[in-house]
Amino acid sequence: MDNVVLNNVGKRYGKLWALRNVNAAFASGEVIMVIGPNGSGKTTLIKCILGLVRATEGAIQVRGLDVNGDPKYRHAIGYMPQLSEFPRELTVEQLLNMMNDIRNAVPGSTDDRLIGALGVDGLLNKRVSTLSGGMRQKVSAVLAFRYKPSVLILDEPTAGLDPISAGTLLEAVMETKRNGATVMITSHIMEEVQQLGDRMAYLQDGNLRALLAPETVMDVTGEKLLSKALPKYLAKLPKNHVESL
Amino acid sequence: MWKVCKYTLIDLARNKFALGYALLLMLVTMGLFMLEGDPTKALISTTQVALALVPLLSVVFTIIYFYNQYEFTVLLAVQPMHRRNIVMGQLVAVALALLVAFLFGVGLPVLVYAPGGAGYTLLLTGAALTAVFTAIGGLIAVKNRDRARGVGIGLVTWVIMVLVYDAILLWIMFSFSDRPIEPVIVPLAALNPIDLARILIMLKIDLAALLGYTGAVYQQFFGSAGGMLVSLFALFLWVVLPTFWTVSAFRRKNL
Repeated sequence: MDNVVLNNVGKRYGKLWALRNVNAAFASGEVIMVIGPNGSGKTTLIKCILGLVRATEGAIQVRGLDVNGDPKYRHAIGYMPQLSEFPRELTVEQLLNMMNDIRNAVPGSTDDRLIGALGVDGLLNKRVSTLSGGMRQKVSAVLAFRYKPSVLILDEPTAGLDPISAGTLLEAVMETKRNGATVMITSHIMEEVQQLGDRMAYLQDGNLRALLAPETVMDVTGEKLLSKALPKYLAKLPKNHVESL
Repeated sequence: MWKVCKYTLIDLARNKFALGYALLLMLVTMGLFMLEGDPTKALISTTQVALALVPLLSVVFTIIYFYNQYEFTVLLAVQPMHRRNIVMGQLVAVALALLVAFLFGVGLPVLVYAPGGAGYTLLLTGAALTAVFTAIGGLIAVKNRDRARGVGIGLVTWVIMVLVYDAILLWIMFSFSDRPIEPVIVPLAALNPIDLARILIMLKIDLAALLGYTGAVYQQFFGSAGGMLVSLFALFLWVVLPTFWTVSAFRRKNL
């Protein structure tokens, strides 16, 4: 089943098209690495799927539900932003309880393994104002995974995390994928793209220029590193090439 | 909405600004009552201070709080809830926190030193102004992405409502002093929630008699049951309209 379907999606800010003519379908049990240069539309694409931004044209569906309709579709979504900020005077435990209340989560229905795995259990009684940036990222990761999402969206998830925590997080990503979720990760780290991605969605100037497996890119170009293979592959693409469904 | 409101209130209850605001109001109010022998005069002084401070601190605090919460608000917007519940929850919580601070800081001294119609009117209008300027602050924060610009607009709004508007009214009254312009001045005064609050309190203190014919016109209109209802309705609109506009803008906003 396709958990996320984008049909001719475009987003304009004033006269600038941040996204144009994006067509893609992301299946369950798939990790999509969303990559591209700065200003290519990665964040806009993510925000359109999350409902933070309304697409100017086209349609986006998450598990068959229109993202511009009832917000109930977001029960299926877990999101970890690049920068995490929370109400400063709440404790971590109160923050987790708040999200439980908002999601009407039944006790025992949440996946709390990351709380222990990332060391957040030691932070539960601490106020958010006392947490470092890395600690807040860990709390953000816990919130993203906690409700067993069918669509998990992570915006540069390992930025700000120590190497061990980053490894733990990436293991959690793979397990979530094995459980049938669609995982979308924005990243500038080619090693992560090569290691994690089933497919990578390469955006450039708001267009989806390529949507394919990293291995395919490396096979076609004969390169063993994605960081070298990708520029070669893109150079061979026709100038106006965009992916279609 | 109440879930967002509850946790925002918990956050605000520990906020040092809210506590400082309550203490500042209490210090000023108690100081005025202690320095001034006549409770009526002290109440008038408290009114002038409150009508300036409450709108200023309400609008600025609301704007800064909304900007500080922006990233978290984005996270809330990704949850399965309508956007109107997010912004309404935050607005109600901020208004309640500021209201509690006001009632504590001004209300306690007033209840001790000047309980009565005028004191209660001050508390009622102060509460209304808290709600009005919280709503205005929320609107400014939602409509403007830049923090410095938002705070600037909030300050300018306050200056216009506290100083500029009254200056314009005075100029009109002076320029047309030889004509019966009170029927025009009364509704114009009602258009500014701060002036409306001031008039209602002055009538209770019975200062209208000092204002000559204008005071008599104010007394005739605002002192009646119908005038009081119109005043309360005007204050109600001043809360509801910015709030409605805030919710509407937030629903359409690109986050």
